[in-house]
Amino acid sequence: MAAASPSDSDGSRAEREASSKWLDAHYDPVANIHTFSACLALADLHGDGEYKLVVGDLGPGGRQPHLKVLKGPTVLTESPLPALPAAAVTFLMEQHEPRTPALALASGPCVYVYKNLRPYFKFTLPQLPPNSLEQDLWNQAKQDQIDHLTLKEMLEGIREKAEVPLSVQSLRFLQLELSEMEAFVNQHKSKSIKRQTVITTMTTLKKNLADEDAMSCLVLGTENKELLVLDPEAFTILAKMSLPGVPVFLEVSGQFDVEFRLAAACRNGNIYILRRDSRRPKYCIELSAQPVGLVRVHKVLVVGSTEDSLHGFTHKGKRLWTVPMPAAILTMNLLEQRSRGLQAVMAGLANGEVRIYHDKALLNVIRAPDAVTSLCFGRYGREDNTLVMTTRGGGLMIKILKRTAVFVEGGGEVGPPPAQATKLNVPRKTRLYVDQTLREREAGTAMHRTFQTDLYLLRLRAARAYVQALESSLSPVSATAREPLKLHAVVQGLGPTFKLTLHLQNTSTARPILGLLVCFLYNEVLYALPRAFFKVPLLVPGLDYPLETFVESLSDKGISDIIKVLVLREGQSAPLLSAHINMPVSEGLAAA
Amino acid sequence: MCNTPEFPILEKQNWLIHLHYIRKDYEACKAVIKEQLQETQGLCEYAIYVQALIFRLEGNIQESLELFQTCAILSPQCADNLKQVARSLFLLGKHKAAIEVYNEAAKLNQKDWEICHNLGVCYIYLKQFNKAQDQLHNALHLNRHDLTYIMLGKIHLLEGNLDKAIEIYKKAVEFSPENTELLTTLGLLYLQLGIYQKAFEHLGNALTYDPTNYKAILAAGSMMQTHGDFDVALTKYRVVASAVPESPPLWNNIGMCFFGKKKYVAAISCLKRANYLAPFDWKILYNLGLVHLTMQQYASAFHFLSAAINFQPKMGELYMLLAVALTNLEDTENAKRAYAEAVRLDKCNPLVNLNYAVLLYNQGEKRGALAQYQEMEKKVNLLKDSSSLEFDSEMVEMAQKLGAALQVGEALVWTKPVKDPKSKHRSTSASKAANFPQPLGSNQALGQAMSSAAAYRKPPSGAGGTSQLTKPPSLPLEPEPTVEAHPTEASAQIREK
Repeated sequence: MAAASPSDSDGSRAEREASSKWLDAHYDPVANIHTFSACLALADLHGDGEYKLVVGDLGPGGRQPHLKVLKGPTVLTESPLPALPAAAVTFLMEQHEPRTPALALASGPCVYVYKNLRPYFKFTLPQLPPNSLEQDLWNQAKQDQIDHLTLKEMLEGIREKAEVPLSVQSLRFLQLELSEMEAFVNQHKSKSIKRQTVITTMTTLKKNLADEDAMSCLVLGTENKELLVLDPEAFTILAKMSLPGVPVFLEVSGQFDVEFRLAAACRNGNIYILRRDSRRPKYCIELSAQPVGLVRVHKVLVVGSTEDSLHGFTHKGKRLWTVPMPAAILTMNLLEQRSRGLQAVMAGLANGEVRIYHDKALLNVIRAPDAVTSLCFGRYGREDNTLVMTTRGGGLMIKILKRTAVFVEGGGEVGPPPAQATKLNVPRKTRLYVDQTLREREAGTAMHRTFQTDLYLLRLRAARAYVQALESSLSPVSATAREPLKLHAVVQGLGPTFKLTLHLQNTSTARPILGLLVCFLYNEVLYALPRAFFKVPLLVPGLDYPLETFVESLSDKGISDIIKVLVLREGQSAPLLSAHINMPVSEGLAAA
Repeated sequence: MCNTPEFPILEKQNWLIHLHYIRKDYEACKAVIKEQLQETQGLCEYAIYVQALIFRLEGNIQESLELFQTCAILSPQCADNLKQVARSLFLLGKHKAAIEVYNEAAKLNQKDWEICHNLGVCYIYLKQFNKAQDQLHNALHLNRHDLTYIMLGKIHLLEGNLDKAIEIYKKAVEFSPENTELLTTLGLLYLQLGIYQKAFEHLGNALTYDPTNYKAILAAGSMMQTHGDFDVALTKYRVVASAVPESPPLWNNIGMCFFGKKKYVAAISCLKRANYLAPFDWKILYNLGLVHLTMQQYASAFHFLSAAINFQPKMGELYMLLAVALTNLEDTENAKRAYAEAVRLDKCNPLVNLNYAVLLYNQGEKRGALAQYQEMEKKVNLLKDSSSLEFDSEMVEMAQKLGAALQVGEALVWTKPVKDPKSKHRSTSASKAANFPQPLGSNQALGQAMSSAAAYRKPPSGAGGTSQLTKPPSLPLEPEPTVEAHPTEASAQIREK
C-alpha cells in the first residue's frame, strides 16, 4: 500500500500532462534573461527556415544590456548593447530575395538595424527644435552681453511660461549657485543647445501589402509625445503624429499606404486611437487605471489595467466587456494559432499564472513556477505554435502547443464558485451547554431572581465603598477643588530597612499649594520611622515631588503590615487624601 | 580644455520606470529612479513623479506631497502635477487646499473629467452637496465613468433622496451593465424601497458577473430568507463564509436561517459568534433574545434583550420582548413597566398592545386590557388601510379569544383578519413578496440593509411565537362562535366609525 502512493501521484501527473494542451519543451530557471514582452521577437533571421528567438536583454538589475539570439534552448550569439533596449522587432525592409527579415532594436534615441545579425544601419531621432528665446539668451551669453543673474532670471521666466521646455543645459544652469555660474557658462557657452528625446516603444506596420511577407514600416513612440512612421528602405520619417500623452504600448493594423488604425496606450492612463489621415487622435479611451498591456484580437482592443482586469474595447473606444483577474497583470501578448484561425490574448499574472482568453472566455491557464514577465507566441525552430516565456527570476520556459490541442471556451472555471461546496463551520455546542439550557428552562425564574439580587447587592456595595472613600479621603487623588493633588508611593529595598518614596504632585494648572503636612500611621511594634510627621514644601503646579523616608522593620517574625499615609492641610483634622501602603515582608532579616 | 561632457538625456529611462511602475515592481522601480536621479542631479521630473506615486501607495503621503510640489516647480505648466498635489492634499484630509489646487489645475486643463470628479468628491467631504453635484455632472458631461456615478449616487443617499439615487444608479447600470458594485447598490436600494422584483433582478445580475460578491450574496440571501428558502440561502452564505469569515451580518443571517429551520442550538451558536464579532450590534442581540425566548431560556433572553435596549433605547418591539421575558420570569411589575414603555414607543405594531392586553387580562385588570385591545384595533385598522399586510394567524386567533373574553367580540374588527388566514392559504405563492414589506422597508442605511434585512425579518413570526407563549395562561378563555358569524355586521360597524 505504501508503495502504491508514489506511483499513484506519478500516474496523476502523467494524466495531467496528457490532459494539458502543452508540451514542456524547455525550462531553464537560471537562463539569466531579464526582459519585457516588447523585447522578444521570433524570426527566421538567416532565411534557413529555422526560426530564432531574439531577446533584447536588460541584464540582471538592468545593468548589462545584451542582444541575445537563441536557437532552440541554446544562445547562438550574444552582443553587448550601448544602452537598455526599449523594444525589439523583426521586419522585412526590402523586396529583394532572399527575404530575410531585419532586426530593429530601439534603445535611447536610436534604432539599431541588424541584417543577418550584423549591424546595418543606425537611425537617430532628429533633434528637437530648441526654444528660440533660450537660444538667443545663450548667444548673448556667448558674447558676454548678459550677466549670469539676468540670464538665470530670463531662463526661469521661460521655464514658467513657455510651451517649449528648456534644454538640459539651461536646467542644469538654473540649479547652480552664484559662484559656480561663471565656470559653467564659460565651459558651455560655445556649444549650441540641444534637445534630444528617446524612443519609448516601437512596432511595425505593413507598408502597402497585407501579405505575411510584405515590407513593413517601423512605428516609433517617443518621449516627447509623438509617433513617427519610418520608411523601411530609406529610414526617412514618412509621417509624424502627436499625442496628448507619452506612448507606452502601440497596436497597429492595416497598411501605411492604404489605411491603418493605430492605438497608443499612454502614460496618462488613456488610450488614443488614430487613423491614417488624422494628425491628432480620433478617439480616446479613458481608463481609470494605468494600462499594462495592449493587444488587438481581430477587431477588439484588449487592455489590461493595473486594477487587475482585462477590458475589451471596440475600435471606436466603446467598452465591450471586463474580466477580473485573480492577480496583478504583468504582461500581455497575442496568441495566434493560424492552423485553426484562433486569436487569443495571453496575460502573465503576478501569481505565476498565464491565462489565455478569447474575448471574455477563459480558454486555458498555465501555471508557471515563477511570475512570468514576458510572453511571445509563434513559430520557433521548426515548430509552429511555440510559447516562449521568461520569468521574473530570469528563467526561460518554452512550451509547444500540441497539434491535437483545441481550445474550447469554458476550459477554465465554470459553475458556482468552489467555496459553495464547502460546509459551513458552525460552532459546536457541548453536552454541558445543553444541560445548562435544560436547567435554565426549569429554574429560569430562580436564576433570574438570584442574579438580580446579587446585582443589586453588588451595586449597593460598590456605591457604599465609593461613598466611604469619598468621605474619608481614602483615594490617592484629592477631590477638593482648592487642593488638587495626586499621590503615589513606592517602596524599595529588601529589609529590614526600606526606602519609602512618596510622589506628590499638584495637578492644578496655575496655583501653587503651601502648608501641607504628611503624616504616617503605622504599628509602632512593627515599624520605626525617623519622622512620622513632616511638612511638605511649596508645591509648584505640575511638578512631581519625591519625598523620601526610611522605614525600619522591627519584627523578626516575617510579618508585614500596612502603613497609612495621610496628607493634611495645616489646621484641619480631616485628611485631604490618603494612601495605604502594603509593606513587603522583610527578607533581609530572615536571611540574617 | 573645451572638451565638455555631453549632458545626459533627462528622460532616458522614463519608459523603464513606467514599465516597472505599472507592473507594481516597486523595488526595481525605485532602483531605476535612484540611478536616474543621480545621473541627472534630480532634474528628471518623471522619476520624481513616480517616486512620489510610490510613496503615496506606501502611505507616506506627506513625502509624496513634497515631491509632487517639486515636480510642479520643475514644470509649472503641467496640470498633471497639480492634480497629484491636490490628490495628496485630499488624502491628507485638507479638502479646502485640495480644491484650490484643483481649481488651479482646471485653469490649465479645462476638459479633464478627473479634475471635475475629484473636485466633486472634495465638496462632498466639505458637505457642499450642491457644488459637488455640479462638479460631478460636469465630469459626467466630459466623460462618463462608473466612479462618478457612484459618487453622485452617494450624494443623493447622504441627502436621503432615495429616488434620485436610484435614478442615477439606473443610468450608471445602463452605461456599464457589468459593474457589480453598481448592480449591488441598485439592488440594495430597491430592497430598501420594498421593490423586491427589481431588487432581486439586479442582485442576481451582480451575482452572475461575480458569483463571490459578498454584499450581493448577503442581500440576496436575506431576501431568500424572507421567502423561507433557508436552504438556498445557506448554500449561498457558504461562499461568503469562505471569503469573509468574520462578518457579523453573515453569521447573524446564518443564525436566523437555522432559526427558520427550527435548529435552535445551531442558531444560537451562529448568533453568538456574530455577537462576539460585533458586540455592540443591537440587531444581533435582538435576534439572540428572540431565539432564547423561543427556547424558553427566559433568563438568558432577558440579558440579551436588556443589552439590546441599552444600545437601541427607541424601539418598542424590544421592550415588548423584554416584557414577555419578564412575564415568564414571573416579574409582572417590571413586565408591565416594559409594556408601558413599548406602547409609548411603538406606533404601528398591534402585537405590542395585544400582548400587553393579555398580560393585563391575566392579571385581572380588565379595564386596562380593554384599553390596550382598542388601541390594537386602531393599529390594525390603520395597517389594513395603508398596506396589504397580512396578520399572523396565531395573533388573529389570540386576539379573537381575548376579544371574546373581554366581551367586545360582537362589535369588532376581526372580520378582515378572520379572512386573512384563509386568504393566506389561498395565495401563498402569489403574495409572497408582499409578506413582510413593512419590516423590510424600515431599513435605513445601505450598509445595514444586509444584516437588517434578516434581523428585521423575524419580528412578526417571532413575536407570533411570543403570543403563543402567552397562550397557556389564557386557556380559560372560551372562544365565542358568534365572532365568525358576524362578519358583515362588523364591517358595517367599521364603516360607521
